[in-house]
Amino acid sequence: MRSFLCAVIVAVALPCVVVAQNATYHQDPNWRAPVDAALRTNPLAQKPEAAAGGEKLFKRNCVECHGTDGSGLAKKNSADLLLPEVQSQSDGALFWKLTNGNTDRGMPSFSRLPEMQRWQLILYMRSLHGAQGSTAKQSSK
Amino acid sequence: MKKTLLILFVIAIFGSVRAQESPYFVTYDHHLEEPGNLELEIYTTSGIPRSGQAAYVAPYMEIEYGVTGRWTSELYLEGQGTVGDSAVFTGWRLENRFRPLKREHWINPVLYLEYERTSEATRIQKEIVGGGPDVSSPNSDLQATKNHELEMKLILSGTTHDWNIAGNFITEKNLSESEGFEFGYAFGVARSLANLASGNPCRFCRENFLAGIEVYGGLGSTEDGFSPHNTVHYVAPVVSWQVSDNGSLRFSPSFALTHEGSPVLFRFGYSYEVRGFASKFVQMFGGRR
Repeated sequence: MRSFLCAVIVAVALPCVVVAQNATYHQDPNWRAPVDAALRTNPLAQKPEAAAGGEKLFKRNCVECHGTDGSGLAKKNSADLLLPEVQSQSDGALFWKLTNGNTDRGMPSFSRLPEMQRWQLILYMRSLHGAQGSTAKQSSK
Repeated sequence: MKKTLLILFVIAIFGSVRAQESPYFVTYDHHLEEPGNLELEIYTTSGIPRSGQAAYVAPYMEIEYGVTGRWTSELYLEGQGTVGDSAVFTGWRLENRFRPLKREHWINPVLYLEYERTSEATRIQKEIVGGGPDVSSPNSDLQATKNHELEMKLILSGTTHDWNIAGNFITEKNLSESEGFEFGYAFGVARSLANLASGNPCRFCRENFLAGIEVYGGLGSTEDGFSPHNTVHYVAPVVSWQVSDNGSLRFSPSFALTHEGSPVLFRFGYSYEVRGFASKFVQMFGGRR
């Protein structure tokens, strides 16, 4: 019984202690989409209404690390999705990153989501950028 | 101790979490737990008896933790209750899954290593090797034999046209006795019922359901030879329903393709994911992450 309890403690507690997550976010210069992937276009680009579904998926899958507004402030070790170096990437490049993840830096792969749902997430990410722009304009008035 | 358990419980209930679980019960795909996340899962395997057998329910709990993005560790605690016999704790398992490749590929290999300390009374049938479990002998006899076992799997899995296709090749070695190696397999295909997510908040939307089918069974052993005879094989439709942002339910009836083992297995499962568990755990004791 004693050895069993020890095994339980080691199995649960040890990984919690040794787990290494990013302390602060710096964009990984080696995490780049291949050219052909970056050239892909969003098939939902002409369907802005699909962004509503993307918002739901974003809240479910992304908010924990990237925050409700995508700024990444929730944990400070995840990407600010509103940064120009993120938003300036093509839809195809972001789709590739969402699909593959960057496991060494804590970004999981979301290939388990259907392809169109991943495109919905990209669509919503773009709308976040627009929303932030309009908020900034309003606050500067 | 009670306070700590209460805090852990509160974190589990109110923590911000996600769950988009694979619907499989036996087959593993290439998706690992996210780093720092803890998943609590409760399952049961219920066996419908043939004549001469007794019905049983084998519940098990799984605690899954994402150690890194490419390493997931899990602890299983399992038991079994047989009608007209007894309810027993049948043992525990510690498994680790490693994903050697960083990116998504057409086929993604995952290496699986598990240590088991279980009795012969185990009936969760998380995997089936050799000829399958003994579902006829009384628990008192089966509990008397405790095994140390090492299990290895090669998991190959990929996604094509939104279908997940996964195959597992299983080898198990009983370290307690001078048995040979036992072998088994599991294959599964599954997909979401909707390509697009609806914009409305809903629980019964099609995107909250995953469905598929899995086939699994034993392939014999080095001692008894490789033969489909005297082995158990099942075909099982599987479905999972994301009931909340933090939990999902799974169900699968498994139908035996051979005359060994239980003719039908009913499997139920509920999983709950606690995101950022490592950070919350450290903060709870005054640390900073």
